[in-house]
Parts: sequence; structure tokens; C-alpha cells
Amino acid sequence: MNNGKAIEVQDLHRHFGDIKAVQGVSFDVRQGEIFSLLGPNGAGKSTTISMLSCLLQPNAGDALVMGHSITRRPMEVKKAIGVVPQEIALYPDLTARENLAFWGKMYGLRGKTLGRRIDQVLEIIGLVEQQKRPAGKFSGGMKRRLNIGIALLHKPQVIIMDEPTVGIDPQSRRHILDNVKELNRQGMTVLYTTHYMEEAAELSDHIAIMDQGQIVASGTHDELVKIVGKQDRVELTINTESERVLPAWQAIDGVHKATATDSIITLLVDESDRVLPRLFEAAIEAKVHITSVTIQEPNLEAVFLHLTGRALRDG
Amino acid sequence: MKILDIALKDMLQSFRSVFAVMLMFVEPIMITGLIYFAFGGLGGGGSDGLDLPMTRVVVANQDQADATSGISAGNEVTKILQSEELADFLEVTMAEDEAAARAAIDDRKADVAVIIPAEFSKAMTVSGARATITLYHDPTLTLGPGIVKAVIDGIMDGFSGYKITADITEKQLARQGQTMGPDTLRALAISYTQWAQNQNTTEGASADPTISLRGPSGSRTPDDSPLAGILGPVMAGMLIFFVFFGGAYTAQSIVKEDEIGTLARLSTTPTPSATILGGKLVSVFLMVLVQSIVLLISSALIFKIQWGEPAGVIAMTLSMLVAAAGFGILVASFIRNTRQGGVMLGGVMTLCGMVGGLFTAGFNTPSGTFDIISRFVPHGWALDGWKLAMSRASISEVLVPAAVLLGMGVLFFVIGTMLFRKRFA
Ligand SMILES: Nc1ncnc2c1ncn2[C@@H]1O[C@H](COP(=O)(O)OP(=O)(O)O)[C@@H](O)[C@H]1O
Ligand SMILES: [Mg+2]
Repeated sequence: MNNGKAIEVQDLHRHFGDIKAVQGVSFDVRQGEIFSLLGPNGAGKSTTISMLSCLLQPNAGDALVMGHSITRRPMEVKKAIGVVPQEIALYPDLTARENLAFWGKMYGLRGKTLGRRIDQVLEIIGLVEQQKRPAGKFSGGMKRRLNIGIALLHKPQVIIMDEPTVGIDPQSRRHILDNVKELNRQGMTVLYTTHYMEEAAELSDHIAIMDQGQIVASGTHDELVKIVGKQDRVELTINTESERVLPAWQAIDGVHKATATDSIITLLVDESDRVLPRLFEAAIEAKVHITSVTIQEPNLEAVFLHLTGRALRDG
Repeated sequence: MKILDIALKDMLQSFRSVFAVMLMFVEPIMITGLIYFAFGGLGGGGSDGLDLPMTRVVVANQDQADATSGISAGNEVTKILQSEELADFLEVTMAEDEAAARAAIDDRKADVAVIIPAEFSKAMTVSGARATITLYHDPTLTLGPGIVKAVIDGIMDGFSGYKITADITEKQLARQGQTMGPDTLRALAISYTQWAQNQNTTEGASADPTISLRGPSGSRTPDDSPLAGILGPVMAGMLIFFVFFGGAYTAQSIVKEDEIGTLARLSTTPTPSATILGGKLVSVFLMVLVQSIVLLISSALIFKIQWGEPAGVIAMTLSMLVAAAGFGILVASFIRNTRQGGVMLGGVMTLCGMVGGLFTAGFNTPSGTFDIISRFVPHGWALDGWKLAMSRASISEVLVPAAVLLGMGVLFFVIGTMLFRKRFA
């Protein structure tokens, strides 16, 4: 297709009354890649997704999905995409299979083609055994998987998933993440939103970090992490006031930033492997006992903190 | 095709829901069944199987014959209650006055007191005047009072036939700038009484009645048991109430789908919004259709209810269908969320049912004012139509309420659909 782009988002705007949910969002998703929108709750991820799936009209801007404008050719867009909504949307009184059958028909599938495809999808989402049970009786994880399965029925070119792993057990979460990778391996383009930086890091070819309706940074995982440099974050707890050892540590070559609260000291260091023994030596000399150490390699969490001054988790 | 897929999915969902099945299919049959068994209808079929318990009635007749017309309506009522036809299940004694009659009930010497007011006859002849027969009974009893009430309603029906004639005649004269003098009124009363007497002699019912005893459903064939006369309208009332309820309940699923996110999800599939809304509306029609057919047939089989000639039944079924679907869609379009919806649906449906006379059908023939009020809701017209159909009135008579229902239904449908489109499409 055109220049290998599955989705081209061009300066989308959307407000709800006074709330500016999305203000000038642009990004491109290449065909065949997994692209993540990472941001805290309220960042505007769902609003962006809703516009891309033609549920919401943008107040300004446009987007092309597989070359079709979301504002001018919504039907073409809808045929090309599968949407996994953030809130589970299925019929609790119908069985898993009946749900898939109904939604398959809504995507224009019928008869034997539909039946075969339902079997395949049940296999993918791991609900073959439970297909005759009403969806309302499923666990949260099973509902999430069915919620995803519905969007796969018509083998869409692009699948858009809005926080598909929220509030489920680790096992179902693993299953879903593996599904996403497998679908992508088979050629599906995936637009994925999450507020878990581990998921974005594990899955994505490209990541856009979103906050307060805007994209604050985008690139590959490595590119983004470079924003905060290659420094590791080392957090140490000691058995006394931090002043006893802090000056000595700050003097060590390779230690950059140091912050302290009571007995917890956080350092940004160049290479923790080399610096860590020196820290211990200095502590022994100062007769200070270290009670715990954690080392964190640079991650998206740190990037978000660096860019917005706030933590990703609690938004 | 997708429209049908959506409609069939809705129906499948309803059939999975215990609440929906109870509401739409079980309850109407169950309630009619309760009345059926209460009246001892176990024998089934014809009047032979009827085994009504004896009800002790005490009558206090305070009425005097009307001087102008010579009619003594109080005596007529008493005579009918004492007639041989009713002797099988009514044991009638007379009381000196109202207090004595009430005392008989309080002492449990009688089940129902029938108190005929003074000036009762006069009210029958003076246009615009009202007289009320009072039934006094132990509130824990329902069966006996129900029978007595049905009988008296039948009698009042006969009286009001005369009264309505008088009313109409007077109005027509007034429009021409004249009023009806006492002489005209008297002549009219006499001619009506004679007509009524002729009616009875040809039917050969009771010895010398001025007013014939008619079942609440209108005319009846000699084979009909009093039970069938009561049960038919009761079942019609239940049919109408629950079909209208079923329509609104099904229409409410649009709001439910909005809440659970499936409506939005439908919009992400390549399905035009007109198809989505269309499917939901078709499901309301289909559900109401299935419900009507199931209820009509099952009640005919279980309670031997004769709904009428095919033409009348079809006309009423179709018009009720459109009215119930349209009304349901209109009501549901006002519902913000399903939590509020349950209460609202129950309230609106019960109110309309009451106004339409559905809960008193079989035990009560609406009086003048009530008759007019019940015309404000489709339920009233539907009850009218079904009663006509059951009394095997001519198709042209049935077509009047059917046409009104159809008109109301189409109007409701159009408004409701517009409101839904504004909201969701
Ligand atoms: N339908 C709506 N009406 C009003 N405000 C909304 C609506 N949808 C989203 N918002 C607001 O827009 C902002 C972005 O929300 P959303 O796109 O859901 O964020 P995210 O998916 O990243 O958590 C939030 O402040 C949210 O409260
Ligand atoms: Mg969201």
C-alpha cells in the first residue's frame, strides 16, 4: 500500500466540552509492526483510538487507515480494522461461540467460512473447551480473550487494541501478549495502547508516549531510553542518616545525580557494575551499614518521569 | 440480512433470560391460571364442569320506583341476583337497611353486601345523575365479591345502554336549540324498556326482567359459562399488559447495549447505523409477534378461550403488535439507563394498564368517564378491540379500535425512532 504505512495520524484534535482530550496528535504506524501508545490514565489514548475506529469524529485533523480517511471513508476503514475496546463488550447471555458467530456476521462472514474461522479464533484465544459456556460466566481473563477474539474474526489488516490486559491474572495476560506477538508475526499490524511500560517495551517496534492529550516523545524503545542517557538508577537504604555517607559517594567517579530522603539514597550512575563495589567500600570506611540495594537499568518509566515530571503508574 | 441477525440475536438473548421469559410468557398465563383455578375451572371446557362455590349475598335495597318513568331499578337488580340462573352460586337474603347488611358481613353471616342507594331508579332516568351500588365485603375474600361484581356490572351495562341512549338524544336536540322535556324523556324510557323486554323474551332468559343480564364481554352464546365470560376479558387484559410490557422490555435492550458497550462495538464493524437501529426495532416487532402468538394459542388451549373469528383476531393481533412495538420503542427512548429503566417501565406499564382497564377486565365494565379516560392509552383500545373480537362482533366493528391502535402505534414508532436516532446514530 501507500509508502508502507498502515495508519497515518495527522494532527487529531478532540475535546469534550472544556476537556481537551486530544490536542494535536500525529504519528505513523508502519505496516506489519506493533506500535504502542503508552500513557497514564486520562492521557487521551482511548479518545485517539475511538477516532481511529470511526466511533468519534475528530474536531480537527484526520487520519488514514490503510489509505482510507477516517472522516471521509469510515466504512472502508471499518472493514480494514479489528477493534478491541478497553471495556469488555460482548453479550453475557450468549455463549462464547454464539458471541463469535454474531460478531462474525457483523463483519460480513457467513456459513462455513464463518464456522471455520470461529474454530480458528477459539484456538487462538484458547477457549475451545469453554466455547459452549455463556460469556457472562467467564473469568475476567477469559472475557478479555473473547473480547480480543471478536476483533480477529474477519482477519483484519490492522488490529487496534485498547488496554487489553487491564485487571486480569498474570496467566491470561501472558496468553494475550503472546497472542499479540503471534498475530503480528503472521502479518497483522497492531496498534496497542497501555499504561504498563513493560508491555510497551516487550511488544513494540515503535512507541509513542502520550500525556495530557499530546505525544511527548516517540521512537523505538532504545531511542526513547536514550533520552535519559545510559545511566542506571541505584537505590540504597542505609541504617543511619544519609549525610554520613552521601558526600563520599558523590565523590566517586561515575556517580551523577544523588537525592536522599532520610535513609534512602537514589543515585544515577554510569555503570553500576563498576560503581557498586566502590559504594560498598566507601560505606565500610564511613562505618555505615547498607540494608538494601536495587539497581534499575534505564526504562520507559524513567523516560516518562524525565519528560513529564510525574510517574507513569498513578497518572 | 444483518438486520435479522441483530434481531435474532436479541431474541436468543431474551429466551436465555429467566426474567424475560417469565415476564413475556409465563406470567400472563399464570395470572389467568390463578383466576381459572380460583373459579374452579379444573373441570375444563363447558359449563357442566363449572363448580363455583356458593357465595352468600345480602341485599339492602333502599331504592324507590321512579315516579316519572315507573321504573324500579333496585327491584330489577335484586330480581336478577335472586334469579334461578344464579341460584347455583349466589344465596341471596334481604336486609332491612344498609347498617343491617353491613352487620351481616361483619358477623360473617354473609360474604358480600350489595347496597342499592335510594334514588337509584331516579338516577337511571335523569340524565347526568349518578348512582352507585356499593359492594361491602371482607377484604380477604376475592372470589365471591368478584362474582357478584361481575354480575352487577353486567346489569349496569344493561342500564347504561338505556342511559347512553338518553344522553345522546338529549345532546342532539340541544344542538338544534331545543332541550328534552320530561315528556320526551318519559317516552324514551318507555320505548327503551319495551325494547329491552323484547330482547329478553326472544332470548327467553328470565321470567320478567326489565334489564337483561349480560356478561362483561358483551353478548354471549348460551353454551358459555360465566367462567368463560370472566376469563376471556381477564386473559385479554393480561395479554395486552404483558405484550406491551414485552415490547418496551425488548426496546430497552438498545439502552442496555449502549451501557455494556456492544452498541459502540457494533459501530466499529462495517455495519451502517441505520442497520443497527433497524435490527433493534425489528427485534421488538418479532418479540411482540412471537409473544402474542404464543399467548393467544396457549390461552386458547389451556383455558379454552375463544378469541373470535379469524378476521377479527388477525386484525387485533396485528394492530396490537404495531401499537405495543411502537409504544415500547417510545417509552424506551426516554429511558436513560437500565437501572432507572426497570422502575420506569414497571411504573409506566402499570399505570397505562390501570388506565386502560386491563386489571379490572372481566370484573368491571368501565363507567362513562372511565371509558373515555381509557381511550387515552392504546391499552384501552386494545381491550376494547379484543372484547369485540371475542364477542364475535362484525369485522367492521373490530376494525375501529384496530385502526386506532395501528395509528397510535405508527405515531409512537415514528417519534420513538426519531428520539433513538438522535441519541445513538
Ligand atoms: N465521553 C467523554 N466525555 C467527557 N470526557 C471524556 C470522554 N471521554 C474521555 N474524556 C476525558 O478525556 C480525557 C482522555 O480520556 P481517555 O481518552 O479515555 O484517556 P485514556 O484512554 O488515555 O485513559 C480524560 O480526561 C477523560 O476524562
Ligand atoms: Mg483508555
